Amino acid sequence: MRKPTKAVRTGQYVALALYLIFLGFPLLWLLSISLKTPRELASINPHLIPHHFQWSNYSDAFDAQGLLRSAGNSTIVALGSMVLTIVVAFPAAYALGRFKTRLRPIATGWILVSQLFPVILIVIPLFMILRSIHLLNSLFGLVLVYLVWTLPFALWMLRGYVAALPRDLEEAAAVDGAGRLRTLVSIVLPLLRPGLVATAMFAFISAWNEFFFALVLLKNDNVRTLPLTLAHFVGAEGQVSLGPLAAGSVMATVPSLLVFAVLQRRLTSGLLAGAVKG
Amino acid sequence: MRNRVLIGAVTGVAAVALVAACSSSKSSDDKGGSTGGNGGGGSKVTLKFQSLAFQKPTVAAVKKIVSDWNAAHPNIQVQYSEGSWDSVHDQLVTQFEGGTAPDVIHDEAADISGFIQQGYLADLSGDLPADVKSSVPQGVWDTVSADGKIYAAPTLLQSYVVMANTDLLKRDGITVPDGATLSWDDFQAMAKKATSGGTYGLGWGLKSPTATILSLSLNFDGKYFSGSGQDAKVDVGDNEKQVPQRIHAMAYDDKSIAPVTLTQSGTDILPGFYAGKYAMVVEGNYAAQQITEEAPKSFHWAVLPPLTGTSSNQAADPQTLSVAQSSKHVKEATEFVSYFMQAQNLAAVGQGDWLIPTTQSARDAINQATGGASGWTQTLKGASSQVAAAFQAATNYPRWKDQIATPAFQQYLANKMSVDDLAKKLTSGWGDVNQ
Amino acid sequence: MTTTVVEPQLDSPPRPVRRRRGRSTGSRDAWLLTLPALIPVLVLSVIPLAQGVYYGFTDKRAGLGIATHVTGLENFRKLWHNHLFLESFRIGLIWAVSVTLIQFVLGLGLALLLNEDLRLRWLARTLALIPWAMPPVIVAIMWRLLLDPTVGPVNQSLKDLHISDTGINWLGDFHTALPAVIMVGVWVGMPQTTIALLAGLQGIPADLHEAAAVDGAGAWRRFFSVTLPQLRPIIFAITSLDFIWNFNSFGLVYVLTAGGPGGKTMLPMLFAYNEAFRYGQFGYASAMGDVMVLLVVIFLGLYLRAGLRKADA
Repeated sequence: MRKPTKAVRTGQYVALALYLIFLGFPLLWLLSISLKTPRELASINPHLIPHHFQWSNYSDAFDAQGLLRSAGNSTIVALGSMVLTIVVAFPAAYALGRFKTRLRPIATGWILVSQLFPVILIVIPLFMILRSIHLLNSLFGLVLVYLVWTLPFALWMLRGYVAALPRDLEEAAAVDGAGRLRTLVSIVLPLLRPGLVATAMFAFISAWNEFFFALVLLKNDNVRTLPLTLAHFVGAEGQVSLGPLAAGSVMATVPSLLVFAVLQRRLTSGLLAGAVKG
Repeated sequence: MRNRVLIGAVTGVAAVALVAACSSSKSSDDKGGSTGGNGGGGSKVTLKFQSLAFQKPTVAAVKKIVSDWNAAHPNIQVQYSEGSWDSVHDQLVTQFEGGTAPDVIHDEAADISGFIQQGYLADLSGDLPADVKSSVPQGVWDTVSADGKIYAAPTLLQSYVVMANTDLLKRDGITVPDGATLSWDDFQAMAKKATSGGTYGLGWGLKSPTATILSLSLNFDGKYFSGSGQDAKVDVGDNEKQVPQRIHAMAYDDKSIAPVTLTQSGTDILPGFYAGKYAMVVEGNYAAQQITEEAPKSFHWAVLPPLTGTSSNQAADPQTLSVAQSSKHVKEATEFVSYFMQAQNLAAVGQGDWLIPTTQSARDAINQATGGASGWTQTLKGASSQVAAAFQAATNYPRWKDQIATPAFQQYLANKMSVDDLAKKLTSGWGDVNQ
Repeated sequence: MTTTVVEPQLDSPPRPVRRRRGRSTGSRDAWLLTLPALIPVLVLSVIPLAQGVYYGFTDKRAGLGIATHVTGLENFRKLWHNHLFLESFRIGLIWAVSVTLIQFVLGLGLALLLNEDLRLRWLARTLALIPWAMPPVIVAIMWRLLLDPTVGPVNQSLKDLHISDTGINWLGDFHTALPAVIMVGVWVGMPQTTIALLAGLQGIPADLHEAAAVDGAGAWRRFFSVTLPQLRPIIFAITSLDFIWNFNSFGLVYVLTAGGPGGKTMLPMLFAYNEAFRYGQFGYASAMGDVMVLLVVIFLGLYLRAGLRKADA
């Protein structure tokens, strides 16, 4: 393929830089806030580089009510939810995408209603159900809830990716004698890799950042997740302990970025040129 | 055959992940907030206490209260957990529906009025000792009572005060008032005089105007509401129009209020205050804590005497300690609440939060401890004019506030509405909300 | 690297037996494949949802020991006359359509860039996900700070660049509040749109591009004749989801403006939230939810019908 011209390439770098400034500047500002003293935060001419570096914001955030433990809880919940979502959604999305079953319109209906109906209104019925099966106040219960509430997105998106796949490879494999499951794992799975990675990222970050279910379904301090701990820096009447909150938030952002950095490497095409011929 | 093996493998992987989640969580007994005794013998009671304290000194004070209590009462142990102001309401709504609310609940009067009507809070009238009852003025008790029954112990009050940059006032030749009261007319005159040389006389964060306006309207006996419960009615007469009109006059006739501050919250206008953009601000008194912490060292400020019209009355909205109706140990929980209300304890918490204790003895303790510095003297004086307001007892007040009053006041203060239209909107809106 | 290519065996007769078995077990396979999903979904999602939808037809309220009665269409009649709710619906639609559209256009541009073989691509891809990585509690506070008329860097830069002398009261001015809030909404939603589209781009077989290039098509032609058609199912999937999420969002806007000034940014979800959690009217709030679902499903149905029909063609 012809490589783009130098002019086009430069244009692409410039465009990318502009995007990244728009998307990344708030994090830079957050970093700056996390190192400022309250006095400087209240000053009227904000500078990106703090005048006096206040590292104690970080130790304050760290000392606060089990930040480390809640980070650990969040990690477990986010990873568990991510793995489960992929494992459960992949076969189901394939089925919904490829087969004409009665399940399809039912699933579509459920997906739409579950995404549209205000989640805050089902929190109480959900709370009652979890209580009756004794899964209140447990990380496992929370993972299940996240799984069930991320599935609609996962199914919806993966169905789209499945629909975009050329059927030729699967049909070739079927003619060649491969069973459904074999086809799934060895042919479809690699092709669907980018879609699965995108879904995994989404599942991870939804669980990592989720606040409302965690607030309502977790009671004990030892199972608290990170967003709940961060919320403690916000007091009444709009008073915010900005320095420590920023420090805590920086510490909460870094793991997600690391996960993304690792996962994005697999966001590459599973389809190699020349695999479908004839 | 292969299908089954694969499905088994997949289930196995999922199971392993879940076991990891399971083993690190401790599913606790979720039958309500407290546990009963273990078998026969001494009936040890454990109470769950959710506190919303978030300033460091306040958290320390509350923890000390809890540990002192636990040491003195081996049979009634209190378990302290932290909530946050931001989310406590949603949390309580769900927990009340599900019957898993904590035993001792920290909240504020405006928030619990709904819960009282819904029957979720226990009646404490019988269990509160007489000395606690007599230490708090009846007007404040009224804010946490309904039908003659008491549903919470009021702990800390706040009031709106005027804070001034004394250097800027001096520059314009204004003497800093230090009498018992500051009349609105004087206040407006001061603001006008201080508007010079590129600075405004006043900054007022009125992004959420309703609570402030309704409270300060009591200065002119502007109650807005009459009757209570389902029969409450809205009436916007001359008394009620005083405060909105005065603010409007300051903003658009005198041009002494910095316009941008009218759309900001109280905390957001403080940086402009430190930078000398306006000479005075109207804040909740707890802002003194922020000012002490973050104002530049060269900033000199003072708390002015309480604003007064025909009186200095403001609506009391105390922080509260309640007991859940579903709690199995209402009596023990009330004992803890009474302990919390002791002078030294209340004073420690009030000092941490820069709020005014409801009892005189606690206020005296703070005055002693601080020597009245940083505006404490003026602040503590404000407690005596806190009264219950009619709007707090009106069913559907929250709905009227969110849907009618707040947008209407915002539009009026943005000069998009006349005062008569404002009055009409507020009254007809009450009818709409009560259909 | 080469893969072994599976070549269809044209000389051996077709195997109808295998085909037929394939089709009849298709339905059974579908159920098997979806089984792990079904049970938790039924218990934790379908049942609460059914209850939630049902409450719209009752007078369920908060309160100890208060009985719930079925009231039929009473809530919906009240809603029809609730002009504040209808107004919030209008604002919600403007908000959702604007955010979704802008998100899509910007997201597609970014996805195309991240699909290219640029240097430090891994870094760019990670940084592009910053809005996703930041905890929601701080996102709203951050943007409130950034847009603060007195201490915010946005106004500071405007002053430094001499574009404006006094800065703009982004969130407080009746005219700029909704646009400002829309911009923040776009920022928040960029990562999910970008990643979804990027994954889609990665799934386009490279030889399709090659074939088109060989035929003499330039970059733009290839984009319209190869890329976009291939992306179609994914575009519809992510834009419809984006629209739903945007329509339903309220946490962000709540912290930024609390629905103000003067109700200019009052979204329907905020309405439903207040109804349920602040006034305790669960039944009425659920009725609002029911109406939102119905109307958006109709709107989406038309959108998707158009999309899917073209895809099948």
